Amino acid sequence: MIDRDPSPVPPVAEEDPGRALVVELADVSRVHVEGTQFVVALKEVSLKVSAGELIAVMGPSGSGKSTLLNIAGGLDRATSGGVMVEGELLNVLLPSRLAALRRRRVGYVFQDLNLIPSLTAVENVMLPRELDGVRTAKARQEALAVLGEIGVADLAERFPDELSGGQRQRVAIARALVGERRLILADEPTGALDTATGDDILRLLRARADAGAAVILVTHEPRYAGWADRVVFLRDGQIVDSATAGLASAR
Amino acid sequence: MNTEYAYSVFMSIRHGLLALLSQGSRHGYQLRAEFEASTGATWPLNIGQVYTTLARMERDGLVAPGEQDEQGRIVYSITPDGATEVGRWFATPITQTERPRDELAIKLAMAVTTQDVDVAGVVQAQRTATMRTLQELTRSKRGLDSPLDTAQTLILDSKIFQAEAELRWLDHCEAVLSRRSLQHPQEKQ
Ligand SMILES: Nc1ncnc2c1ncn2[C@@H]1O[C@H](COP(=O)(O)OP(=O)(O)OP(=O)(O)O)[C@@H](O)[C@H]1O
Ligand SMILES: [Mg+2]
Repeated sequence: MIDRDPSPVPPVAEEDPGRALVVELADVSRVHVEGTQFVVALKEVSLKVSAGELIAVMGPSGSGKSTLLNIAGGLDRATSGGVMVEGELLNVLLPSRLAALRRRRVGYVFQDLNLIPSLTAVENVMLPRELDGVRTAKARQEALAVLGEIGVADLAERFPDELSGGQRQRVAIARALVGERRLILADEPTGALDTATGDDILRLLRARADAGAAVILVTHEPRYAGWADRVVFLRDGQIVDSATAGLASAR
Repeated sequence: MNTEYAYSVFMSIRHGLLALLSQGSRHGYQLRAEFEASTGATWPLNIGQVYTTLARMERDGLVAPGEQDEQGRIVYSITPDGATEVGRWFATPITQTERPRDELAIKLAMAVTTQDVDVAGVVQAQRTATMRTLQELTRSKRGLDSPLDTAQTLILDSKIFQAEAELRWLDHCEAVLSRRSLQHPQEKQ
């Protein structure tokens, strides 16, 4: 195709755009203060996630997995260290800009799902798009498409309390995927699912990563971590180890 | 490879070939190709292994050699005894003792009881290695999508569940070991 665009050619990016850095945590710590006590939830964690990558975070309960996810998505702020998302330094972003970045760029699946009980499945999925200013009809169309993609289109008009745990989980995932999310953060998205359905969810997250999103998945299940390009092990707020697919296996 | 493991592999190949012959007569190269196809090339066979196995099964009366085809390859058929053996194999669950001895469990038990071994380090190194194995297996599984791949998918799933169980067990070991070292700090960590 002939390029008729008269605007100057943008400078060539140093990296393949498909491999661009989406999130970077640099020496991030998160300390909670409780009276005179300090709880160190995250201790000098550094992590880079590029477009196209699926990263799994594993570790015992209380090791800081949700904290890491919340900080990467701008839901919680680091006590020290730098957090970059899509080239923006979150630490210095105005609250309004941060909120906009979270809404447009980041999709979350929370550990406790957070579906709004008074909205139907499709309305729950539409919500982030409507908050972005997308017209209702279009938001609805997009929401139905994603619900279809994950195989629950027929449940669109049900309310959360009319869905099984696994179905609610899928709706929550649809909500995280709708729109052009560059960063998808999923905290135990397979909690209530049997392994075959859990595999379907991972297939979906994997497809999003392959299509150019950066995905960070928190899971207790090695089976799902197996889908990741890199598995990061947290313990007491620190990264103790990581396994990268494709590196020579020790066995 | 320990003898028990070698024996269980040997028996699996023998029964696998017999199961293929129960569907019709075949020569060695065909058997090898079909065996590998149905196990997703998880157990690559060399043709020598196939013919050795066929010769032993012939001696045991489970298969019988037939005519040579135009390329001079001998076609084998299953005997009634062989068919009975296949039926028995499918009907009998595999018991723990037929499975390979768990080398990793032995290694960890030894690590715990041997002075100056960094047990946590052993656990961590193994966990990283097993996770990589799991990542590779998942990657192979992702490549299979057609319903024709069901046999391969199930084989991979079996290995995925094994790797998963091993990882869970390693997490458990780590938790137990760290609790012990908290409770009995005088003990070796
Ligand atoms: N608001 C808070 N105030 C004080 N401590 C907190 C707060 N939020 C989290 N923590 C502590 O920070 C640590 C890390 O918590 P986090 O929720 O990240 O763990 P997790 O790895 O996600 O655990 P789980 O697997 O149970 O979800 C824990 O010790 C937790 O008690
Ligand atoms: Mg958590």
